[in-house]
Amino acid sequence: MARISVYQEETNRTYSVTAEALASVMDMVEGSASDGDIDYYIRISTNIPKVDGTSWPVYIIRKLTDNPPGVEYSTPSTFTELINQYVTYFITVSQLTESSSSSSSFSSSSSSSVSSSSSSMSSDSSSSWSSSSSSSSESSSSS
Amino acid sequence: MAINLSIYSNANSSSNSVVFDFVGDVLASSHDGLPYSPTNASSVEYYFKVTTNARQDNGNPYPAKIVRSLDELVLNRQKQSRNPYGDPYSTNAYSDVKSMVVDYAWDYINGHDANEDGTGVKAQNPMRF
Repeated sequence: MARISVYQEETNRTYSVTAEALASVMDMVEGSASDGDIDYYIRISTNIPKVDGTSWPVYIIRKLTDNPPGVEYSTPSTFTELINQYVTYFITVSQLTESSSSSSSFSSSSSSSVSSSSSSMSSDSSSSWSSSSSSSSESSSSS
Repeated sequence: MAINLSIYSNANSSSNSVVFDFVGDVLASSHDGLPYSPTNASSVEYYFKVTTNARQDNGNPYPAKIVRSLDELVLNRQKQSRNPYGDPYSTNAYSDVKSMVVDYAWDYINGHDANEDGTGVKAQNPMRF
């Protein structure tokens, strides 16, 4: 299991992103009903909070093209590039790199602009099986 | 947590395990085909590390294997195994993690000859049970 620590200087908090190899029979594989066969995959999760304070879903990586959803990423050639894409995705979309918004992420009275961007994220991120569920609102919110 | 494959021999009524762990470490390796230079030698990489408690039928242990990408094929990173149920000796990258795990496991169990199909790989005997 790979555990990546993410330190945020402004809040002095340390988060983690975890990637682990697993084997399971899947209920669905890319939208199709399971064939009952065991699948092998990487499960990536984080305790970094979204800007609205909710949790990220767990993502499943079966192929190198299973990029983070909603943002146009190049197809990685290695697992290192793919994991780095997910870490960057969690950090930027959660706005950990923006000191003003990151402090508000722990507040119940976050600004309306933060709230709207977070709501578009939660709807996109639920489709963890699809690597191409892009959304322009998500792209703009992560910049 | 990792993928822990239990391989059972019906003829011998015994089992071995092959573990596919996904790790993030600074990788210092002399494996063939791993390009390391002083500029990237201290960078963390994420990869599958394949280990087993089994031995080859000549008593030799298996070395740990590193899989950094789905195009790092089991035979010297150049070709897939001779697995008759898969895509024997294909030079295509594995389509997904499952294909990689199945092909590596097959090669552990059945072994391969030296320089199998022109890959320059060293011989690996079948698994001993």
